[in-house]
This record gives sequence, C-alpha cells and structure tokens, in this order.
Amino acid sequence: MTSPDTLVLAVPSKGRLMEQSVEIFANAGLNVRKVGNMRGYRGEIEGIDNVEVAFISASEIARYLKTGRAHIGITGEDLVREQMTDWETRIEILKPLGFGHADVVVAVPECWIDVRVMADLDEISSAFRQIHGRWFRVATKYINLTRRFLSSRGLTDFRIIESLGATEGTPAAGTADFIVDITTTGATLKANGLKILDDGLILKSQANLIASRAAEWTPRVREAENIILDKLGI
Amino acid sequence: MVAETAKKFEALEAQAQKIMSVFIKAGHEAVAPAIIQPAGVFLDVIGETLRARTYVFTDPDGEELCLRPDITVPTCRLHIERHANPMTRAKYCYNGSAFRFQPAGAPVAHPREFRQAGIEAFGITDKAKAEAQTVVTVIDALKAAGLKDFKLHVGDLGLFRALLEAADMPVRWRRRLMHQFWRPDAFRTELKRLTTAAIDVPRDVPKELLTKLDPERPDDGEKQVAAYLESRGIDMLGTRTLGEITENLLSIVADAKTQPLSAATAELLESYVRVVAPARAAGARLRDLLRGGNIDITEAFDAYQRRLQLLADAGVDVTHADFEAEFGRTLEYYTGFVFEVVVPDLGRQSPVAGGGRYDTLMRQCGSEEDVPAVGAAIHTERLLAALTGDVR
Repeated sequence: MTSPDTLVLAVPSKGRLMEQSVEIFANAGLNVRKVGNMRGYRGEIEGIDNVEVAFISASEIARYLKTGRAHIGITGEDLVREQMTDWETRIEILKPLGFGHADVVVAVPECWIDVRVMADLDEISSAFRQIHGRWFRVATKYINLTRRFLSSRGLTDFRIIESLGATEGTPAAGTADFIVDITTTGATLKANGLKILDDGLILKSQANLIASRAAEWTPRVREAENIILDKLGI
Repeated sequence: MVAETAKKFEALEAQAQKIMSVFIKAGHEAVAPAIIQPAGVFLDVIGETLRARTYVFTDPDGEELCLRPDITVPTCRLHIERHANPMTRAKYCYNGSAFRFQPAGAPVAHPREFRQAGIEAFGITDKAKAEAQTVVTVIDALKAAGLKDFKLHVGDLGLFRALLEAADMPVRWRRRLMHQFWRPDAFRTELKRLTTAAIDVPRDVPKELLTKLDPERPDDGEKQVAAYLESRGIDMLGTRTLGEITENLLSIVADAKTQPLSAATAELLESYVRVVAPARAAGARLRDLLRGGNIDITEAFDAYQRRLQLLADAGVDVTHADFEAEFGRTLEYYTGFVFEVVVPDLGRQSPVAGGGRYDTLMRQCGSEEDVPAVGAAIHTERLLAALTGDVR
C-alpha cells in the first residue's frame, strides 16, 4: 500500500514514448529509473524519497489520472479527451511536451472521389442507407471523440464499430465504411487505400504532463510536485 | 429512481390485462419478443444517436447485445423469423419492458425501465384503414383502462414526402431535404442553399473528370470514373460500388447545371412545415397553400382525408384532434402517418400513447422488401399516473 504522502508519477511503459518521457526528466536533472527487475513496472526518482514511478500504458495513465490513482502523469491529449467527457474538472494540463505528436482524423476510402469534406459524407449517407439497408459504419478506438465530432458536424446517422487494432484495415475488410484513427504522417492510411477528409481533423494531439484533480494532495505530495515542476521549469 | 412498490406492480398488471384484452379482441395475437436483442439491428437501423440511450453490452462470446430500447423492432424480427415471406399479414400485441438511459435529473415520467403495451399490424395494404384501426384500438384500450380526458395529435410524413415528390427539383435535392427534415435547422439551411444561384460548384469532382462526365450518358460515366481511378492508381475498396460513386458524381455535375430551386417552392415547403391546425381544418389550410401553384398531391391529400373520415366513422373525436406538419420530425423510422395521445397533466413531452406507420423498418430488420407496417404503444406507467392523479 502506497502511503498517502507518496506522489505517484505515471510514465508510459513502452517504446519511444517511454524513452522521450524519461529524457524530459533527465534533461531537467531528474533521474527516473526502474527499481528491482529491469522489466518491472515500478520506479523512483533519485533524490526525492516520496515519489513512486508507475510505468504503465498511456491509456492506463489517463485512467489513473481520472480516478486519482496517480498525481501526475504523461499521456496523450487524445486519450484524455476520449476517456473523460468532463476532463477540465478532473485533470489539469501542466505542459505540452513537444513529442508524441499524432492527429486524430476522419479517413475514407481513396476511391470515394466524390467525398472531400464532412458535408459530403452526410450527403451520401441517406443514399447509402437506401441501397445497403444500414447506416455507415465507422471503425475507431475513439468512440466518444468520434461520436462528438460527427454529431457536431451534423452527421448523426452512423454506427460506431469499436476497433482495438488495425483500424485502417477495416474498410478493405468490409467491417466498416470509414474510420477515425490516429496518424502521424498519413503513410499508413495511404498504404491502406484511405485519405483524410479536408476538414476531418478532430484533434492535434501530443504528449502532455498532466496533474490529477481527483488525487489526494497532501502537503508532502504537493512538496514533491513542486520540486519536480521547478526542475522542469513549469 | 424510486423502486416500484408491489401495489404499483399489481396495479400495472391489472391495467395491462384490460389493455391486452382490447388488443386481443381487435384481432392481435399476443407475443413476447426477446428482451435481450442483438445491438447491431438497433444501431444499424436507428443510428448512433440511440446508442447513447441504449444499454449495450458484450456477452462472454463477444457478441454485442442490448436491452431492447423499444418493442417494435423486436416484433418485426419475430415476424421475420416466423414467416419466410414477411409480406404475410399479421397482427401482434405485447406488454413488456423497454429500457432507455435517462440522464440524471430526468423527469419521473421518463424512467429508464418502462413498460409498453402495444400493437403492430404488418402486411395490410389498405393503409388508411389499417392506420385508423390502430388509433381506434389504442383509444379503446385507453378508455378500457379508465382514461377519459385526452387529446389526439396527428401528423403525416406522407404529405411532406408527396410535396417533395411533386415539387420540381432533381432527385438528389429531394433526398437531401428528406434527409434533413428531421433536423429543423439543417433543413432551413439546405433550403436556403438550394435557392441560391450557383449552389453547386462541383468542387468535389476532380477537374479532369468533370469535363468527361455527362449526366445524359450515365452508361459512359462508369467507364470514365474507372479510367480515372486506374490512371491514379486508386483501387476500389469498401462497400460503396463504382456505380454508386459514379451516380453521385453525375448528379453533382447535373446539379451544377440545374436552375436553383424556385423561391415559391421553397416558400411553400417552409409554410407547410409551419402548419399547425385542428385536424379537420388542416386539409383546407393545405389546399390554400397549394392554390395557384402547379403542385398536385391529390393522392396523399385524399389518404389524409379518408383516414380522418374513417376515424370519425369509428367514433373517434376528430374535431378536437390537432394536426402538426412538423410532428414526426424527431422519430426517424416513421414513414407516414404518426399520432400521439396526450393528457393534460403530463403534457406534450410525455404522451401516454403514440405510434404510426413505418414501412421501411421491416427491410432494415432483414426483409428483402418494404412491408406495410403500422403500430402503436401505450406507455403504461404514464397511463397509470394519469389515472391515479399521481403526477409530479
């Protein structure tokens, strides 16, 4: 059991995101390191006693911040917005970190040469329904972001298919008609015969240092936070 | 939500029995469709907006299921399961629970778990007669349960559809206006757009293709589009076919050459949408609107009048019924006649009964063709509240 005076810092557990996160701290003179087993999921910051580092997946970090299991953490804005409809009341974005850039976009088959903007999609949706007897299916892992974005653009007649991987392959496989997914260069979309709609950018996301409003902030936790933020220049 | 007391449960059961016996006497077979339904049917048919109000879950086999948000779709599915030919005539009735998420603080007349007693009639080709019969049966059932003071509201999407069909405009515009009918703001915007000159600069058609597409020669269009895709190295992919894409491109090109919608037609459509009148007088109002124009909707108009007459003949008080052209706007699966029964204590937002015609629903549930279908349901908790004066 973690003491209430321990600050829990959640850091991505894998890949480039982990490397760049650790680097940000290192550049600020904060040495984040794993404790015990190198493959383990717990760590510490050298020199600050009451900090526990949790190495977990970026989407788990968003959940930790939402529920207050972590005090501060690094995760993408896309995940924050997807998992919290009321994110402003639950968390505070301390600093965009300049890495982990990704766009959440609406992409349709390239062969839909008659569709360039969101309004075009709405326009063909009723003809599509007449012919195929169902509404458009949209594959995505961003269910909430997608629903909010599409209905804000007047498109209400569609069905979301939750997709937990290889979303870009679903139109070719026939399980969805178009997708909402994350992209950095657009190359994967292109390779799968998809194109981004001109006004289909839902969110420009990047990694952020985020504080939880739901966590318990004892004076000692606050003190540890101040030390970390000072070093990071926030 | 306050838990149901045993007393209230018994009162609801007793009330349901009175209602069901009227339904059964009117020739409806009592059925009990499954409460747990495949989510896909509802989400594909009614769209994602309903998902936000439906209890959707995944079972241990990974199948996406839901608690039925209404009983009409489950009854359509039951009908299709029973009859290889869905055009088979059948009349059903049911009494059971349906489930819809309600945000915190929703009024008591909108519980998340509510009971509906309803009827459906499938495959009956005399539409006006089947519609009138539905209203009569529901009103009989309400009276049998003890309701005396109520008001009937009617609408008719068939009239609007007929107006659109008769007005001079390309099919595509018609489809767009019909599509937007359910969203008043978007409808007005669309109407305005269509009356403005040069509405459709065909920005969506690649320039090289634009000159080669001739709406007069649709056969050639598909070849041109295929050649264009090939030259760009774009493969066909997904459910939309080359034919569908070509058709849309051709109509975009055709639109750009079409005269904008006449101001008179736009005005007529707008005026129609605003019509609110006693059901009897609505016919005359409509005739006034159309006077002098060249729009002929005799057939839909006669259907409206005949239905009203059939209702009057059956003893329904139509002189106090109200017609609203906009009525039905928020319920996208209705296709024609719609009605609601309202009591003064609960008001317009919480009707005690409602229903209408939904001829395309059976096809969306898996039938190969549209099947004439009309039905209605009584919101039994509201009815009980109205009868016992237990309305907060």
